[in-house]
Amino acid sequence: MTRAFLKLSKGAFYVGAIVACLAATPAVAQVRIQISPPSWYIATTRPVYYEGRPSYYYGNQWHYRQGRTWHTYREEPRYLRDHRRGQRHQHDRRQYGRDHEGGYSRW
Amino acid sequence: MNLLRLNQLALMGALGLTACTSMSTATRTQTAEEQLADDQAEAGLRDHHRHQHRGGVMQFVAMSLDTLGPNDAARPQVEKLQRDLYVCMAPTGEIQRALHLTVADGVAAGAVDLAKVDGLIGQLDGAAAGVRACSVEALNQLHSALSEAERDELVEKVEAHWEIWRQVNQEDTGDRAPGGRLAALARELSLTPDQVQQAAAALHTALPARSGAFDRAQVDADVQAFAVAFRSASFDARTTSMGERSRLSSQGATRMAIFYETVAPLLTAAQRTELAGHLRNRAAQHPVVSTN
Repeated sequence: MTRAFLKLSKGAFYVGAIVACLAATPAVAQVRIQISPPSWYIATTRPVYYEGRPSYYYGNQWHYRQGRTWHTYREEPRYLRDHRRGQRHQHDRRQYGRDHEGGYSRW
Repeated sequence: MNLLRLNQLALMGALGLTACTSMSTATRTQTAEEQLADDQAEAGLRDHHRHQHRGGVMQFVAMSLDTLGPNDAARPQVEKLQRDLYVCMAPTGEIQRALHLTVADGVAAGAVDLAKVDGLIGQLDGAAAGVRACSVEALNQLHSALSEAERDELVEKVEAHWEIWRQVNQEDTGDRAPGGRLAALARELSLTPDQVQQAAAALHTALPARSGAFDRAQVDADVQAFAVAFRSASFDARTTSMGERSRLSSQGATRMAIFYETVAPLLTAAQRTELAGHLRNRAAQHPVVSTN
């Protein structure tokens, strides 16, 4: 009896945990606030041109503009993901300011 | 036995919930390293626009090429054109260098030579007026070299630089707001709270009284005119306003000089020496053409 109860509890727990986990993710998505890269980010960061338009990786997401409106890719496109994981992504930022010797700036 | 199984169950449950939580937050959080890189990039850009005044909107265009990321075929030409634009800004760069050194000497001595500063700023106005005429050909070639998406993005970057310039040179009233010029100086020189308070009070009076008139609406209009013209299929820099009427370079340089003139008497000798060294370093800086 006790063993059967334990098995039943264990099964119910796993099902509950999976359901809770799956349910939690859409809840986060529903309250997600649309963000866009700020001006300083656009001025210091090289975009990646994808689908004919520049995209910026900001706040752990890829953003692009259509007209004057910013949009965010819900799923990271493979091309952008490959770029982000590649060497070139490390050089997408331009640093300015007095600490960068030999000129205004350096990569 | 049953207790042991209950413990195992609890442990597995805790691990599962931890993994679940991690999965939920992994896509939303930024690492401390990334946050630091962002903070440095923003602070560096603000510092740049506070101190480097070579060519107003034309300088915004040249800087935008640093991160435009043109296609591989256009890249060599774009780098050459960026170099050409900076060559056109060389006369303003020389005057600005002299201004930085003059302010540095004044800071070190505890009093800035105002007549010399005013003279240099007057020269800056004259030299800035020549930047546009010199840059016409390079701008026209740049328009031809870029794709429609790249031209559009260049305009976005120019507007972004204008916004940051405006924030640090016009909207910054010298108060202690985070990200402001005084806050940056306080970090740079480890100012005491008393020094910060005195500097804020002095700047509150000096900046509006001595900065002179600045027509922000005029620059807004000029930037918009450039945006419309550069986005269109045909572009001629000779007939496009590039903000030369708004005297962006001299306005930014004036604000910089007033800031250092005002705070210098409030610093200790050691702080003045350190600040003068920083200003001399800035005087030695020059544009670096990007390798897009």
